[in-house]
Amino acid sequence: MAAEQFDPNESKYAASARAFRDNVSRDLGNDELRDNFRGAMDYLMDKRTKAFVDGDELETLREQCKLIKQRCLLKLPHLLEQLEENLQANGIQVHWAETITDANDIIAQLITEKNGKTVVKGKSMVSEETALNDYLEERDIECLESDMGEYIVQLANEHPSHIIMPAIHQNKKQVADLFADNIEGFKHTTDVDALIGEGRRVLREKFCNADVGITGVNFAVAETGTLCLVENEGNGRMCTTVPDLHIAITGIEKVVEFLDDVPPLLSLLTRSATGQLISTYFNMISHPRQNDEKDGPQEVHLVLLDNGRSQAFADEELRQTLQCIRCGACMNHCPVYTRIGGHAYGTVYPGPIGKIISPHMLGLEATNNLPTASSLCGACGEVCPVKIPIPKLLLRLRKESVKPANDETTVMKGEGSGRKKIEAVIWQGWSLMHKYALIYNTSMWFATRLRKLMPKKVGVWTSVRTAPKLAPKTLHEKIKARNKTRSAQQQNTIATQNIGGK
Amino acid sequence: MSTDYQIKSNAARSSIINKLKKEVAGADYDKLPEELSYQYQQLSKTQQVEQFIGHLEANHAQVIKLEKQQIPQVVSEQLKQRGIRTLLYGMQAPHSAQMAELDSYIHAEVFDFNLAENKEKLFNQTPAGITSSRAAIAATGSIVLWPTETEPRSLSLVPPVHMVIVDAEQLYANFSSLIREQQWQDNLPTNAILISGPSKTADIQQTLAYGAHGPKELLVLLLNA
Repeated sequence: MAAEQFDPNESKYAASARAFRDNVSRDLGNDELRDNFRGAMDYLMDKRTKAFVDGDELETLREQCKLIKQRCLLKLPHLLEQLEENLQANGIQVHWAETITDANDIIAQLITEKNGKTVVKGKSMVSEETALNDYLEERDIECLESDMGEYIVQLANEHPSHIIMPAIHQNKKQVADLFADNIEGFKHTTDVDALIGEGRRVLREKFCNADVGITGVNFAVAETGTLCLVENEGNGRMCTTVPDLHIAITGIEKVVEFLDDVPPLLSLLTRSATGQLISTYFNMISHPRQNDEKDGPQEVHLVLLDNGRSQAFADEELRQTLQCIRCGACMNHCPVYTRIGGHAYGTVYPGPIGKIISPHMLGLEATNNLPTASSLCGACGEVCPVKIPIPKLLLRLRKESVKPANDETTVMKGEGSGRKKIEAVIWQGWSLMHKYALIYNTSMWFATRLRKLMPKKVGVWTSVRTAPKLAPKTLHEKIKARNKTRSAQQQNTIATQNIGGK
Repeated sequence: MSTDYQIKSNAARSSIINKLKKEVAGADYDKLPEELSYQYQQLSKTQQVEQFIGHLEANHAQVIKLEKQQIPQVVSEQLKQRGIRTLLYGMQAPHSAQMAELDSYIHAEVFDFNLAENKEKLFNQTPAGITSSRAAIAATGSIVLWPTETEPRSLSLVPPVHMVIVDAEQLYANFSSLIREQQWQDNLPTNAILISGPSKTADIQQTLAYGAHGPKELLVLLLNA
């Protein structure tokens, strides 16, 4: 299948993902950025290690949580229906969207219906997926990020570079400069307590006055119709407690069957993400404000977004991508992510999980460079709390991206878009050569004899390496020669033994 | 009458559900593999209390053991130490009647108003709030809040100092056992909350700072320990 026609309104991230190689060159050359990531990743890896002292517990939990997520995925359509039914019975309204534009549209209309002008947002990667802030700003609705990291990123007019710690690419000096440029009356300081205090002051005023709170969801419990939020700062609680309207947005894969499924997942999530036994707040929302209650939103809405998830769902192997609970451990342990940083990917989700989920959201045509940006060291698969075989899925996506046009099966949007004729011909030649001994031996004989003709410079390869040199003889020839000498020696030994025998 | 986006949403719903159903048609849910959970070491009540306090203190909360009748005295002392003169509390909580016995220095006020018309007051004129709790979790040092109309959820969120009364008799080994023993699936409230320390963030250069948006201080008054 050749690349399909793309929606002219495709996500802005498709363009930045296409620029992956340029982004990488740009960010690899930024020493400050690389220092920031190295420091942050070392910190997060260390925190995670210390949170899992008992290896048996970790492995049992990983297996359990993998099975929980696989069960919930196998029952996904039914659980979504059950979730909707129970949320509605609890008084929470449910909306569905296949595309990011539809999701944004629903949210914009819900806000406009209530004459909402100002929104405070809890951290939500799904709303980054839909570029909700831009969409609402265009409709004159002020949309302010309230997670400290997200607030910093928004002030800097950037995107999160990490799914858990969005402003990880900035150091405190950069944050201080940013505050000085953007917050009136801010006295320049690099004291982190003072910087957080400043953010607190600005944002509390916003919480107090906002019309709408928008958040993500970590787990949506089908059995009880409950939306669960994991956070440390309290901004999620503010967004879901103070404004009159709360809108939550999440991907369809976030539903779990039972309330009982939540504790093991929560335990793995916070420990894998930041090495915390549990987050400061775990917030479980099951109703809008009830009769005599004195606070809480009058209306609660949930928007369920597909955006390519059902495509991943359709293939049993790729479905495992949807097991993800968004802890970020795979990026923390990724040697590629640590070096190029989160922005180079150009996608909403960076790092290993980004490489396997983004092709479903943006199409392989825009993202076919991503699965190749891996050394396949396997660290991501090893730390994944729900055992997603990320390296295997990377290989699978590489295959899908170079799928020949005559392959009848359709797996994903943009498959085959990374196929290059010359590359295909080279591999066909390679395959022929390894199938027939005569061709192999002849070409090897010629290659070794003509080795002096090998160029000293081989494009990008030799920009950081010396050119490989072929040996004067092939391994086959050498082994043959060695075997010959050996059998001659053996003959001699036997002969000697026979002489000394009697 | 359905609005435009509701019609669209319904269409999206059928499309998504149908796509997913097609892929799992015929799945045999009886043959799912068994999900084994890890068997944690059973701790004695005393050990659980120690574990609970240890985790809370590691997370920067202050824990004070006391008897029920000491509540007014301890609350008064703690507020005085911080130079706080105003305390907000809920109606009909087990400790509510005791709020009348606080030091005369302290003005204790009951949360009997709607937040919507009193945001300014709660955000800017309420330095401390006190709440009860429904249960606590030893394994993670968490306190379970179950806000009601008499003890609103913003009482534990907006004031910079949150005092919470926890009964050690209500301490559970872990979150799973708590959910099971109290049958949470049958009666979840509007908003149940687990709290495991004061509000915090490490979003600037991985440096931990307390009091990001919620309370800067969490004071746990532990009964029956």
